[in-house]
Amino acid sequence: MTAFNWQSELARDGSRVFVAGLPVAMHCHHYNINLQKTLEDTLGDEGIQLLFHSAEEANRIGFTSFFNEYRQLKTNKSKLEMAAVIYQNSGFGIIHLQGVNRQGGTILSPSSHHVTGWLAKHGLRDTPGCHFTRGWIAGVLEAVFDKPAGHYTIEETHCKMMRDKECVFQVTGV
Amino acid sequence: MAIDGSKIVHAVMEGSRIRESKGIIPLFGVYLSIASVQYYNTLSFEFENKLRGERAAEAEALLVKAAQECGYATFQGIRNSWEWGEIVKPMIETKEDQIEGFTAVSVAFGWGDLVVKELIPHEKLVIRVTDSYEARGHLEHYGMTESGKCYMLRGVAGAFMDLLYGDDYPDGCFDYSAQEPFCRAKGDPYCEFVARKSSD
Repeated sequence: MTAFNWQSELARDGSRVFVAGLPVAMHCHHYNINLQKTLEDTLGDEGIQLLFHSAEEANRIGFTSFFNEYRQLKTNKSKLEMAAVIYQNSGFGIIHLQGVNRQGGTILSPSSHHVTGWLAKHGLRDTPGCHFTRGWIAGVLEAVFDKPAGHYTIEETHCKMMRDKECVFQVTGV
Repeated sequence: MAIDGSKIVHAVMEGSRIRESKGIIPLFGVYLSIASVQYYNTLSFEFENKLRGERAAEAEALLVKAAQECGYATFQGIRNSWEWGEIVKPMIETKEDQIEGFTAVSVAFGWGDLVVKELIPHEKLVIRVTDSYEARGHLEHYGMTESGKCYMLRGVAGAFMDLLYGDDYPDGCFDYSAQEPFCRAKGDPYCEFVARKSSD
């Protein structure tokens, strides 16, 4: 698999921080979870959609640019493997993308920044809460398989925020 | 000894390259993540768009509140962390030096080029930023506007004063609040945040 050199790809230009040339910011679980709770509490389902679409759009654009840069990633399998490495190196947790293809499939996540942060701040939920990760998955798959925004539906069927053993995402292509 | 921000930036850059086996970045007492600024800007500005009209002020207040609560908890964790004790604390001579440490961490996190322009203990903090990712993002994707758009930095500026001069943690959050009288998103040459004691 093509190596991703995190040492050189996480870089600064003055006060700005970049990963593989894309501007990023570091935030902790307090902010990420506060934003999620604010949107959910204020807008309900519309807030959940906004969390999903914001992550989807940022990831679709970001990974499309990234794959154009990393031309040595030729197969969809290698692109998905790289995406999982970047997810882990971005501090979002562990995600297994092996069970998904162009049509859809199942994705597992045994460890997650948002789960850890949500449980630390608010405890267990009654509903799945990994909206960021759902959007992240949708954006990655759209970039890998060259699909437009909104092509994939991502349902979280199990969530560690609800005391499930791991987070499970069912992916369905339109 | 003055605070050497470059040492703090270096520590964050090196520390944020360290991962534990679960893909979590534990650094300065918090769990860090690294995400596209576009994600944060879309969240904030589209949230604001959804509440525009009669609820516009509510959107602004909620975003600042979310950031101030975060800043309060985050920098409380940061100043009690092992890394702070090792890297920053030896450079701190006065209570006020903590603010320089906080702004250096913020710069390291990629939030902008924060500079403390004025600090009157217990009264007033002025922070100037010429390249905030929020203002830049608004200009790039939404254009010029008529009001300040750096809700995250505004909340964080209030939190800095809360931590220094507010009631003891965790009772001091919102003892101070910040305004953003200048913002690049409305055509000013820089963004400026002024935190003062909150009015009841």
